[in-house]
Amino acid sequence: MFEKLMRIDRRIIFIFVGLAVIVPTLFPSNLPINVPEPTRQLYDYIDALPTGATIIIAFDYGPSSFAEPQPMAEAVMKHCFDKKVRVIGINLFAETTTLADKLMQKVAKEKGAVDGEDYVFLGYRPGALQVIIGMGTEIASIFDSDYAGNPLAEIPMMENITNYEQISLLLDLAASSTVEAWITYANTKYGLQIGAGVTGVIVSQMYPYLQTGQLVGLMPGFLGAAGYEKLIETSAEGTAGINTESFVHLLIVGLVVLGNIAFFIQQRREE
Amino acid sequence: MKRQVPLVLCFVFGIAMIFTQFSPHTFSQGIHNEVTNWTHIITPFALVLAVATLIQTHWVRIRRRTTHWQYSIVVFAGLITMVAFGIRSGPKNRVFEWLYENVQVPMDATVFSLLAFFIASAAYRAFRARTFEATLLLISALIVMMGNVPIGDFLWNTVMAWTPWDNATSNASQWILDNPNLSSRRGVILGVSLGAISQSIRIILGIERSYLGGGD
Amino acid sequence: MTLNSRMQLILACFVFCLCAGVAFAQGLAPPTNVTAKDTPNDDGKSITLTWDAAAEDSGGITNYKILRGTTPETLEEIGDTKTTTTTTYVDSSVETGTDYVYLVRAVGETGETADSVPTAPVQATGQWFHTGKIPLFCAMLLFCAAIVGNIYYAQSGKEIFVRRIPGLEAVDEAIGRATEMGRSILYVLGMGAVDDVATIASMTILGQVARRTADYETPLRVPCRDPIVLNVVREMVKTAYLNEGRPDAYNEDNIFFLTQDQFAYAAGVDGMMIREKPAAIFLQGTFFAESLILAETGNSIGAIQIAGTDAEHQLPFLIAACDYTLIGEELYAASAYLSREPRLLGSLRGQDWGKLVIFVALVMGILLEPFGINWITALLQRVN
Repeated sequence: MFEKLMRIDRRIIFIFVGLAVIVPTLFPSNLPINVPEPTRQLYDYIDALPTGATIIIAFDYGPSSFAEPQPMAEAVMKHCFDKKVRVIGINLFAETTTLADKLMQKVAKEKGAVDGEDYVFLGYRPGALQVIIGMGTEIASIFDSDYAGNPLAEIPMMENITNYEQISLLLDLAASSTVEAWITYANTKYGLQIGAGVTGVIVSQMYPYLQTGQLVGLMPGFLGAAGYEKLIETSAEGTAGINTESFVHLLIVGLVVLGNIAFFIQQRREE
Repeated sequence: MKRQVPLVLCFVFGIAMIFTQFSPHTFSQGIHNEVTNWTHIITPFALVLAVATLIQTHWVRIRRRTTHWQYSIVVFAGLITMVAFGIRSGPKNRVFEWLYENVQVPMDATVFSLLAFFIASAAYRAFRARTFEATLLLISALIVMMGNVPIGDFLWNTVMAWTPWDNATSNASQWILDNPNLSSRRGVILGVSLGAISQSIRIILGIERSYLGGGD
Repeated sequence: MTLNSRMQLILACFVFCLCAGVAFAQGLAPPTNVTAKDTPNDDGKSITLTWDAAAEDSGGITNYKILRGTTPETLEEIGDTKTTTTTTYVDSSVETGTDYVYLVRAVGETGETADSVPTAPVQATGQWFHTGKIPLFCAMLLFCAAIVGNIYYAQSGKEIFVRRIPGLEAVDEAIGRATEMGRSILYVLGMGAVDDVATIASMTILGQVARRTADYETPLRVPCRDPIVLNVVREMVKTAYLNEGRPDAYNEDNIFFLTQDQFAYAAGVDGMMIREKPAAIFLQGTFFAESLILAETGNSIGAIQIAGTDAEHQLPFLIAACDYTLIGEELYAASAYLSREPRLLGSLRGQDWGKLVIFVALVMGILLEPFGINWITALLQRVN
């Protein structure tokens, strides 16, 4: 029996995981959320920005991984629009363009932000490194118009923005190695302050940069999104996501413990 | 000659690009930007080659009726549909947007979400306390897994309320991430970086030539 | 005293009192020690302006404004207003080689101003060498010298010890197993492009694998994500088969482009694993979140899996699901290890020397820092 338990068919595990996701989604719980310290640092940084400051949000995730970074983007944009901090949206991967455009429009509509005055979505340009480096010299050299095709020179909020010098923060919402690229080229070369919101899979990769101060703050996966939602006193997809994730983690811990109990009993018997 | 020209090009551009990192002058930065631009210009041409091989591979499969040749028809259907709508009216086209939101996004998200299932099965199989080191790994994994979700602290604060440590799970998890995780990661990063530099020097000096098409 | 002169005296007293009153009310001290210098170590596109911080009794300065002109007569306001704590301003809107004069204007609560003395004309010039990067440059030269020196050492016939790397020792076992079972070998080059060092390292290992599969006539399947990698790999494998005298065994259709989309690629490769059931799978290169999706599927079909990546964040996944994993730099050492060529082995030894130097620097830095000796830390500071 214990032998069987140790070599349990992975499809049974998959069924349990599926249930651990579906049941809490259908019957949401409301677990108390502890805001991670790096998320609080990011919130504090944005909260301290003066009215009229400008930040860039880089939507550097794909349609595959949007579940985690999208609630982060939503929470940060809500915070910015409430604080009258202006937001420039860009993306380094072509496939995110539509997702990011729609999200910006949705949050702006909810908060009454005006396109071209409170926010602008510049969209995608090929060559990620070229975009990062080129914007440091002149944003207009990379983006001559916004995603809707309006020339940059005619967008009111871009009037006094030439390059990174007028940008208070770049928030990279990432699912791969783009945070490192922003740190290497925009922070090291141009001194641009970088914040990040990343998927749970690559969170541990960010800690060296947090410790060195190359990241002003971090939203780690769903926990970061939920933490930021808590700080702006709202409860949205991030909070729902982390509550669901809680039960999957609990299941995995339970399975690992069960597997080890079976392993020990099996070993004892063999001895 | 066929091999010497790329080797010389690699050496010249490799050395030039290294020196542009140490020279902030407009001239050297201009060279850096120019070379980077060239690499981006080359990519679309290579993409044409790639699409050509994709079409060729799948066309041959359909023609020869090889195993699972039916999937190749799906490849052509997807390719033609997206290209047709994308080229004609750009990404703002209604049909293109619909296909993007209702086909590409859910399919991509489905593959990504497989990760949750695979992490569970891999964790179940791999996390066994076979040795002392494996036990340490197992314990830290359990702490981080519980500390990264609110249920960890909730359970601790409920069950272990008598202890003086509030939110001990997330605090312990953060300690693991900030200390053992960070230091070991730094060690690996240092090794990887030196390895990458060494590999780059070998390539620039023409010692490592395998990327030119095998052989020596 | 005539009436006229009395009037003049009264007027003078009035003007004096007015000026004194205004001055007393304003009390604005003009910014002092204003200097403009060409920003060091830049591309000649900026000038750095510095001034002394306002004293606490400077009479209620609320902010500073910067004025710039090509002569003291053509001064105009530039940039945003600066807070009272600001004492530097980098003007990045200058033209290289043009003379500029600067002035810092202190602004009071009611809008009154006090100007500094205009600076001497200054020009922005680009520097050919970044002096702040001298330590980095020296370290690079030393590291190169260590590698080149060790290559000569290795070429002179001296033996170089390389520790056993189980993942690379298993290459022959994996190929042999696939051959015995009459199944194919699947080689995944990762998510990197051709400019990625890990991809080049992976291609090197592929070259060695191809040599062996050519001998055994084992089908080698390589789905590519990057179009340039595809073309290089085709050429590489073809040459490997030619060198082994088996050009007839080379099948170009086995090396093909799949897609550039990360998860579509993962799905495609997973599909191949499930359908073709390769006996051996090589996952070598840069990987992201798809690593476990690939490795777990490979594990589920019972293939022998040899992974290797420089993406340290994916190592736990690969270690959990694969039989052997090349950790970080082991991936780069693969070409030397498999070919045993002295030149490559020499460079490995040089690499170890570099590691030793870093190790010594770290230990020395940690030991000396508590005693206030921090020149090692200063030397290793990040340079913009």
